[in-house]
Amino acid sequence: MKSIEHVPTICPYCGCGCGIYLVVKDGNVVGMEPWKDHPVCEGKNCQKGRNAHAFSYSEQRLQRPLIKQNGVFEEASWEHALGLIAEKLQGVDAEAVGFINSAKCTNEDLYVIQKFVRVVKKTNNMDNASRFCHSTTVPALISTVGSGVMTTSTTSIEQADCIFVVGTNLQETYPIIARRVIRAKRKGAKVIVVDPRRTITAKNLADLYLQVYPAADNALVNGMMRIIIDEGLEDKNFIDKKTSGFDDLKDYLTTLDLSEIERTTDISIDAIKETALTYAKAENACILYNAGIAQHGAGIENIRALADLALLTGNYGKPGTGVNPLRGHANGEGFGDMGPLPVFYPGFQKVNEETAKRFEDIWGVKGLPSTPGMTYMDMVENCKVLYIVGANPMLAAPDTNSVRKALQDKDFLVVQDIFMTETAKLADIVLPTATFMEKDGTITGVDRRVQRMNKAVEPAGDTRPDWVIFCELAKMMGYEEQFSFSSPAEIFEEIRTCVPQYKGITYERLRNPHGIQWPCPTEDHPGTEVMFVEKFPTADGLGHFQIADYKPPLELPDEEYPYVFTNGRVVFHFHTGTMTRRTKRLNDELPHGFAEISRADARELAIEEGDEIMLKSRRGEIKTFAKVTDDIRKGLIFMPWHFSECAPNVLTGPSAGPPSKMPEFKFCAVRIEKV
Amino acid sequence: MKGDLYLAWSSDEKIREKGESGGAVTALLKFALASGIVDAVLAVKKRNGNRYDGVLSLMTHPDQVIESAGTLHFATVNVAKEIKEYLNGANDMKMAVTCKPCDCRAIIELAKRGQINIENVILVGLNCTGTLLPAVARRMIRDEYEADPDDVVSEDMDNAKFVIKLADGTTKERELNKLEEKGYGRRENCRRCTINIPRMADMACGAWGTRGKNATFIEVCSPKGSKLIEKAIEAGALIVEPADREAVEERAKKDKEAIELAEAWEKKDLDVLRLLPYNDRLKYWLRYFDRCIKCFGCRDACPICYCQECYLEPERGFVKGGETPPGMMYHLVRLAHVADSCVNCGQCEDVCPMEIPLTKLYYMLNCELSSLFDYIPGMDVSNYPPLTTVTDEELHIEEVNVLRRKQLR
Repeated sequence: MKSIEHVPTICPYCGCGCGIYLVVKDGNVVGMEPWKDHPVCEGKNCQKGRNAHAFSYSEQRLQRPLIKQNGVFEEASWEHALGLIAEKLQGVDAEAVGFINSAKCTNEDLYVIQKFVRVVKKTNNMDNASRFCHSTTVPALISTVGSGVMTTSTTSIEQADCIFVVGTNLQETYPIIARRVIRAKRKGAKVIVVDPRRTITAKNLADLYLQVYPAADNALVNGMMRIIIDEGLEDKNFIDKKTSGFDDLKDYLTTLDLSEIERTTDISIDAIKETALTYAKAENACILYNAGIAQHGAGIENIRALADLALLTGNYGKPGTGVNPLRGHANGEGFGDMGPLPVFYPGFQKVNEETAKRFEDIWGVKGLPSTPGMTYMDMVENCKVLYIVGANPMLAAPDTNSVRKALQDKDFLVVQDIFMTETAKLADIVLPTATFMEKDGTITGVDRRVQRMNKAVEPAGDTRPDWVIFCELAKMMGYEEQFSFSSPAEIFEEIRTCVPQYKGITYERLRNPHGIQWPCPTEDHPGTEVMFVEKFPTADGLGHFQIADYKPPLELPDEEYPYVFTNGRVVFHFHTGTMTRRTKRLNDELPHGFAEISRADARELAIEEGDEIMLKSRRGEIKTFAKVTDDIRKGLIFMPWHFSECAPNVLTGPSAGPPSKMPEFKFCAVRIEKV
Repeated sequence: MKGDLYLAWSSDEKIREKGESGGAVTALLKFALASGIVDAVLAVKKRNGNRYDGVLSLMTHPDQVIESAGTLHFATVNVAKEIKEYLNGANDMKMAVTCKPCDCRAIIELAKRGQINIENVILVGLNCTGTLLPAVARRMIRDEYEADPDDVVSEDMDNAKFVIKLADGTTKERELNKLEEKGYGRRENCRRCTINIPRMADMACGAWGTRGKNATFIEVCSPKGSKLIEKAIEAGALIVEPADREAVEERAKKDKEAIELAEAWEKKDLDVLRLLPYNDRLKYWLRYFDRCIKCFGCRDACPICYCQECYLEPERGFVKGGETPPGMMYHLVRLAHVADSCVNCGQCEDVCPMEIPLTKLYYMLNCELSSLFDYIPGMDVSNYPPLTTVTDEELHIEEVNVLRRKQLR
């Protein structure tokens, strides 16, 4: 032993974008140390970040390409596996092939993937979990304020006087953002938490807690706005100068019956009023929301109402304000920015002929696709050939039983991942990839902060970074010239030329631990901490009030399925558990799923803590253990979605129509049986 | 020999220039490595030239040592834990380690627990009146000094002032007390710390007592330290003169002032808690514990915690797994395990994502135990923690708080 090295990198889990130091000794990562000069986390990490180095060393890491023969996976060479894939891709029509990518990939990986799909397969059939996270956010916020991004910075949440936390269990899912809320509170900020579950966030952070009826947030916010206008607390100056459509909204709101809102939300008018006044009277009020708002049939309406609320009170364009969607993935902003989506080329340039033409010039090719491609579930259901990178629809997508059947029916399924996931098991070919510790690249987290991930060790076994695999495939398929990248740095240089928001960002500049928040138009531009300071990125520069009429959820409880089912995350695990369940210290804490049930419901059903129960919906059934609690509304059942053996998405199903096509993960009807 | 007091500086002009106070520490480290007295030097270095981002660096070539020259007030590296965790407890090599008093004390505590082979370690102690967290320092320099944090080329704490020097040669100073009242300045544990001169190390080096001379005041604290210094002098790497009375008095005066300031902070921070009735004390802490997300950061960062199999892990059955906040026993067991040995290094609070003021709790309890058992942790390898050597008589003391309560009356 002659050296230890501290390699700075970014935690691969949620979108906070916390820094960590990987301690490298003799070519192995032997531990994690806090990175105290990191602007986001300042040396503080949650348990996932503290153990982020562990899963790369799991014995279950995929090491070599696998080809399924007679139902059994056998190891193969890269050349052989990629040759087969190239042949299959070559032979399939553009409309019949789909690509699902992931925010576990770096920006460079994703850029190469979308370029491959467009240049080599001439299709826009590609999508990722942003469909499940924020497909409602993007249309809702584009139509109101022009852009679906976090407008403030996580660090400037501290400057808010009121923080409205809705549809997110912040302290468990974004602990490092919760820390900013704690610090804001210390300076006197008032915190409002809206959640049907009295979470650790509600208990610790809330000055006002509203245990709202599930999926009634839109009605609640409309009620708040009505009261704000009745009390004359709207920001008239801001409305005059920076918005349009106020009168229509006002007319709409005056038609609302507050007592009906009281019934819909199950929150008293007095409590709604106190909430409204607390928010409206704050100098800087900041809205933080996530899946509890977005993953609904009426997610777009929920989010429009929030944008209206912020516009109404002038809460845009200053630090510690705005309507801020949180991002579940480390690269949760980047997997939109890079354009691996059916409707956007890189830099949110809309798929159309003009954009396609622009990219034909940039990439030096002809015939790029100019019509929108298929979305996530459409590809799962309809594409004959599916290529999945780093995603796990068997746990992440709604209605697991249908997903399984669809994947089993594929002519050809490729899964590229670090572990044999539930999805990979169904593949014809599995390609093993390098983890975040084993490659260079950039990621862009929740507040548009572009940061470098730094390679600490060599890829395990025969694994390769995602971008390398796609460059190889492109070469095999005759596009060597467009894919002659030799490093992520080189890819990033090309990204800068076609993603306007990234133009001023360079790898050299990103050596600074602070990263750079886009938009960053020039190399001497410091980046943008707060968006919409001067005007909104809409055609007329104004914020547009949109009427957001309350719509009930898609599948309501009835006699047969009398309970409302919802799901979410716990602090010990991440998403489909692929990484955290292979991290001993995290999995030892919580090795199994559970279902939270209210004490009143439990009593009625004679269910006791720890009893095995069966949950059934119209689509499937799962067995799990009851966790009886006073912290959940009567009539509501909650489960974490990290566990494949009791995966909530077996139960979920109904989805919104276009444009979001968002599955209503957070609301469906179930019944409960004691096992 | 032990107790010798020197003013010392490097014979190498380059080191004198780059290092602080005549570069004596850099010269000693380089000599230790070049002469083969140690196999490696472990010191904190700026990463990428960024003085807010200090990382521990293991150097095995004498020419590398100069890269670690200069003082960094914004680096709060967990030296003891890294030696234990990543350098096999110094079992594989002899090393000279630069460390602040709390680092030295943590290393000594780990040595008592068989986790660091102290025979292989030369503790080059550095005087310290506190460090600043990088994030706090950056905010402070931007808001209070109206300067770009990245323009700072050096900083110093002296005469109750925090002084920064900028790239353009200008210096700016602000009163430390005023900064700290606004929430800037040193970490809270550092403010309360009364151990400024690391006499528990093999030598204690610092600027106090040099009276403007470009030299380091060195107190030789052990035969091991004495041997290194004498050899370095002999070899011509280090130039020394005996510290005269004025130098010694100046150093003592500075130390006394710093201790008084720390005692004032201690009183201010802790008397509030000490005056609370017992029931309210527990409530005060439970309110903070309720925030805990059980990240294990405090335990992982604590240089005193070393057990391979920890009581707090779910399989041990004391603290139920998978719950946030964890049961109260999480914090109380940790407290019971390390309070008698806490060296007030502040690492637990540094990493706590939920802003629980852990050092206040641990320091307060450690003060109680220290006075009760007449034991200060981290001073002497052969002096074991009181809770491992507790006597029958001590076991029958009804309230550990009895002494302090008398004082408050």
